[in-house]
Amino acid sequence: MIEDLVSFIIFGIIQGSIYALLAMGFSLVYGVGGILNQAHGAFYVIAMYIFYASFINIAEYGLLVGMILAIIFTPLVGGLIYLLLIKPLKDSHVGVVIVTFAFAFFTEQLVRIIVDAKYHDMPHLVPGLFTFFGVNIPYHYLLIIIVSISLLFIITLFINKSKLGKSIRAVAQDSEAASLMGINVNKILAYTLMISAFLAAVAAILNVPVATVAPQVGWTILLNSFAIVVLGGLGSTSGSVIGAYIIAFARSYTNYFLSPVLSALIPIIIIVLVLVLRPRGLLGKKEIV
Amino acid sequence: MLEKFVEKINGVPAYLRDWINTFRGKLTIICLIGLILLPLANPGPYILGIFATFMIYTIFAASWDFLAGFVGQVSFGQAIFLGIAGYVTAYIMKYIPLAYWDFTSFNWVVLADPMPWWIALLIGAIIAVLFGLIIGVPALRLKGPYLALGTLAMSLILYNLFLMGQLGILWENAFGTELFGTDGLGQVPPISSNSTIQYLMIFLIMCASILVMTHIVKSNTGTLFKAIRDDETGATASGINTTKYKILAFMISGFFAGIAGGLYALRFSGVNPGLFQPLYSFYAIIMAAIGGLATISGAALGAFLFVFLGEILRLLGDIPALDVFGGFTEPIFIFSILLIVIIRFAEHGLLQPVLERIQDVWDLLLGR
Repeated sequence: MIEDLVSFIIFGIIQGSIYALLAMGFSLVYGVGGILNQAHGAFYVIAMYIFYASFINIAEYGLLVGMILAIIFTPLVGGLIYLLLIKPLKDSHVGVVIVTFAFAFFTEQLVRIIVDAKYHDMPHLVPGLFTFFGVNIPYHYLLIIIVSISLLFIITLFINKSKLGKSIRAVAQDSEAASLMGINVNKILAYTLMISAFLAAVAAILNVPVATVAPQVGWTILLNSFAIVVLGGLGSTSGSVIGAYIIAFARSYTNYFLSPVLSALIPIIIIVLVLVLRPRGLLGKKEIV
Repeated sequence: MLEKFVEKINGVPAYLRDWINTFRGKLTIICLIGLILLPLANPGPYILGIFATFMIYTIFAASWDFLAGFVGQVSFGQAIFLGIAGYVTAYIMKYIPLAYWDFTSFNWVVLADPMPWWIALLIGAIIAVLFGLIIGVPALRLKGPYLALGTLAMSLILYNLFLMGQLGILWENAFGTELFGTDGLGQVPPISSNSTIQYLMIFLIMCASILVMTHIVKSNTGTLFKAIRDDETGATASGINTTKYKILAFMISGFFAGIAGGLYALRFSGVNPGLFQPLYSFYAIIMAAIGGLATISGAALGAFLFVFLGEILRLLGDIPALDVFGGFTEPIFIFSILLIVIIRFAEHGLLQPVLERIQDVWDLLLGR
């Protein structure tokens, strides 16, 4: 019994840390630019496959090279998507939604063609495990928790203290006024998308060894990010971190004690409940109805 | 009321004449006559089948275009209606005969086994409408992009549920409803064993669907829809019950998408959970986007290009000499690039520019 409880808690914490990284980027892009980025799952997929491909193809330092490549390349893709696809269509919400949706499809098909459509596993970044209340816990789990929590901390600090972060917040508050104050709004939005893609890439690298590699996981990532952001309140980064842990624990609980099928349904149940009971989410300021 | 109706009926010939006199009307009539005469050329079931697929997709894409182009509600869950209606139609055709309870003999009297296809089709579409109501009420609290994501989420959930095959896993035999598993339902009786009749029936249903949708768009209700699309706050301020009309639009769109789903099940004589994938919603979007948003008839052009280009790409993929391209001739891959390019550079679709070019050529030929 105690083993079940411990593994439920551990699983909830690591899932929550991963989701928090993903949802924070998703929420940041929405909060700053009002862009609902359907290609958020695609960032995850891109990073995941760069990581996987270099692990397979490069013999010795594959994991390290893959990590570096994914962290450099994914934000570039994010910036390019903003400049080439989102910026020209910014006036039409429908256009942005469809174009990013199409990009997510493009990515899924591309990795299907270049790599393959099968499921793959990857080894833990840090080998070995220790025992805690009779449960074997890999050191990799500790890595996930440490890296993601420190990264969340750094990003929050960055947004609140640095010059770029202050510009980002200015654009989020009022993009027109910000541009009158001499802030290049498009540049700031491109940076925001790059930060979001960077967070997704880190989440992918941390999560891939405990999850599976497959082209279609991007949709699940998108769905979970959306549910978290709806729960936490759209545009609120702290709300999305709290929402991430709530959803992760809810999924972990149903997974261990009820049924795995129900666990897959948790995001949609939460979306519907939040919309009916409290449409602005936990910490959101505006309603989305 | 009756007078108005008679007036409308009497007005039809003049209206029709005016329409045929326009270039667009002539072209449409020529295309329709071409489609009717196609079976006379005896092209064989393969070609007829492709054309039938094209017409089914036309209905499906038009139903999405109706919702997104005219009411401004972008849904990424159009596949929900396709799947639900497909499953219902297939189930009825396969397992439920047309019968009534005879009180004299206390027995079921079977009138037709299997059920006449059009009854099954209608029931499927009506269930899709009810489903549109059930998911529409919470979903329509969402606006714009959130509606898109919310409907996408619902279609993903349904896809997973049908893929698992059993609702019973949820509550451990509390109600062990079978959902037919990964393979779905197969061997559904077709509309007719004669492929020509099947083709003509689908043709008629397509014409009727397009006609009805075009007329709804042109009616007073259609004007309300457009008002909601252009300025929802303004529409509410003018006393329009926007929620009611949005749900109505959701239901109309669901009905036609349901018709498409039922026809799909009959045409391919089977359904599987894959119908709920975001992929099919993506199909609807790309077809409507090729034709141009907010043009119901543009869906026909989009579906035509989509189905035939897809078929050509599929055939190209079978040629060994083209293996150098690897899997890059994969239709969905090509279409996702196409959708990005169209939305990015030609947001109003290809129908209008293509029509203008054809008209120029036509004028040139006539020496105008």
